[in-house]
Amino acid sequence: MSSPTSNQVAVLSPEGSREPIRQRRRFIRAFVSNRVAVLGLIIVTIIIFAAVFADVIAPYDPNKISAMNRLTPPNSEFLLGTDEFGRDILSRLIHGARISMLIAFIAQTVAISIGITLGMISGWYGGIVDDIIMRLTDAVFAIPGLMFLIVWVAIIDQAQIGLFSSLESIGLSTRHVSIFFALGLIGWAGDARMMRSQVLTIKEREYVIAARATGASNFRIMVRHLLPNAIAPSIVLASLGVAGAILSESTLSFLGLGVEIPNPSWGTMIDQGRNFFTNAWWYAIFPGLTIMITVLGFNFVGDGLRDALDPRLLK
Amino acid sequence: MIAYIIRRLIQVIPTVFIIYTIVFMLAYAMPGDPIKVVLGEEVNRLSQEQLDAMRANLGIDRPFLEQYLDFLGDMLRFDLGRSFIQREDVIDIIGYRLPRTLQLMLGGMTVALIIGIPAGVVSAIKQYTWLDHALMIFALVGLSMPVFWQGLVAQLLLSSNTTGIALFPVAGYGDGNPYYMILPSLVLGTNLSAIIARVARSSMLEVAGQDYINTARAKGLKSRVVLIRHHLRNAIIPVLTVVGLQVAGLMTGALVTETIFNWPGLGRAIVPAILQRDTPVIMGILLLGAFVYLIVNLITDILYAVLDPRIRYA
Repeated sequence: MSSPTSNQVAVLSPEGSREPIRQRRRFIRAFVSNRVAVLGLIIVTIIIFAAVFADVIAPYDPNKISAMNRLTPPNSEFLLGTDEFGRDILSRLIHGARISMLIAFIAQTVAISIGITLGMISGWYGGIVDDIIMRLTDAVFAIPGLMFLIVWVAIIDQAQIGLFSSLESIGLSTRHVSIFFALGLIGWAGDARMMRSQVLTIKEREYVIAARATGASNFRIMVRHLLPNAIAPSIVLASLGVAGAILSESTLSFLGLGVEIPNPSWGTMIDQGRNFFTNAWWYAIFPGLTIMITVLGFNFVGDGLRDALDPRLLK
Repeated sequence: MIAYIIRRLIQVIPTVFIIYTIVFMLAYAMPGDPIKVVLGEEVNRLSQEQLDAMRANLGIDRPFLEQYLDFLGDMLRFDLGRSFIQREDVIDIIGYRLPRTLQLMLGGMTVALIIGIPAGVVSAIKQYTWLDHALMIFALVGLSMPVFWQGLVAQLLLSSNTTGIALFPVAGYGDGNPYYMILPSLVLGTNLSAIIARVARSSMLEVAGQDYINTARAKGLKSRVVLIRHHLRNAIIPVLTVVGLQVAGLMTGALVTETIFNWPGLGRAIVPAILQRDTPVIMGILLLGAFVYLIVNLITDILYAVLDPRIRYA
């Protein structure tokens, strides 16, 4: 390959071309024509809406105790029944969406930031840097995630670190924040591998070589050329990752290590509901269904994004 | 081939060190004092000298680096130390628990393969039919359920006469009676079967477009022969890789499944160990989990190279 002249640089540069716009249109059309993906998007939108406007939507106060309505089966007054304190399960589920969404989104942001940065550095620099980062990735993959999380929560709980105390004013405990970070810390390895393999193919493209020839710095090449062109598959991973984070958070809560009572979290509700499983099935069943539908929504969206991004599936 | 295996083995060494370092730092950072946990109120009756002597005995009074290197030396000699709390060597605790966890993982894996591969293959052969759509949506539903909730629902429906049919025991190990294994294995295997079905489907479709499949068909082979000898055989390789990568997930799932079904595996040993600050047990189990994952992946990679000669030269 001959080194590009400045004239060629202008032609090969992704900026200024109409190609990205056409690609975006094609992508949106592919996504919208996929019924399952649209269904997923609707589910996700509803859940996010419920999380944001929980105070307005929820029919009752999620923590209002009513001795008269203990363990009421689903009826017209309480659509999904009540728990052992007579609290409305539907209202608690709607408020629980907040915690679950917040943890899942922040965890995924942490994961993807670490993953993309390390993957890009690994793929771009190669050599010893690549080796170190990839062995670190292998290690993170190998450590059993849930066990890591349990130990992590134990550390944070006992240490009573006041590091995040400023966050408590907005209703987040140290434990919430520590779960965000821990989920992020164990979740980035897949993003890093994906980004690395993307960068490895892109770094040989003409526009990257051209940018290098014109003397662009490593940082500039990574941010301006590699990142925008390599990020698409990571978005798919992120959407599937949110699904995974919701499941992990609920599992932690189920093991008694998640979000504290009385803050309703879906996993905590199942954990409490299992004690009444044989005489009040609705208590544990509905939170489980809620988790399932939410995760399913994110998985549908993730799959839809992947199919829409895959040019081989173009008919 | 040998060169490839050696290269792969060398790659594992730094990974093992990184894992050890992460796990050690975690265990070291765990606050709290195992002595206080064991003795409870008794602690107040002991003099400071006695307490110091006990700490020295456990080796937890020394500086970070000294403990780090010391523990590392022990690990390299496969000496996992002794539990602070139980009067038992960690290796004995693991020796009792690991086979039971592995048994459960094997059960889950069997369920996953029996359901996942046929589902994926059928879905690919019948691509874009209602059967394909139904199977794939079903697989996504399977992937979207929390394992612990599946366990509860399974118990409700399949092991209680008041809410379902009592086909299986609710929980417990039943002294190794395989009958007790069925329900936990089903629960553990569901997620993995969904993953396998999805990978098997896309891998089958990928292979279906290859020239050698057309060639095989063109030379007049029966479609079943093409399916099994040419199609399935080549499509199975990515499925194997995924199975290898999912071992960590399977172990995590086993931990949760053990909690629900009261199964005496590693998962039910690590939770109390964490609460009691039993560092050697925590480290032993975490390292073992990582080790199992590394071994399985090493085997998968080598198997991959045996099945597909192109890998070796990459």
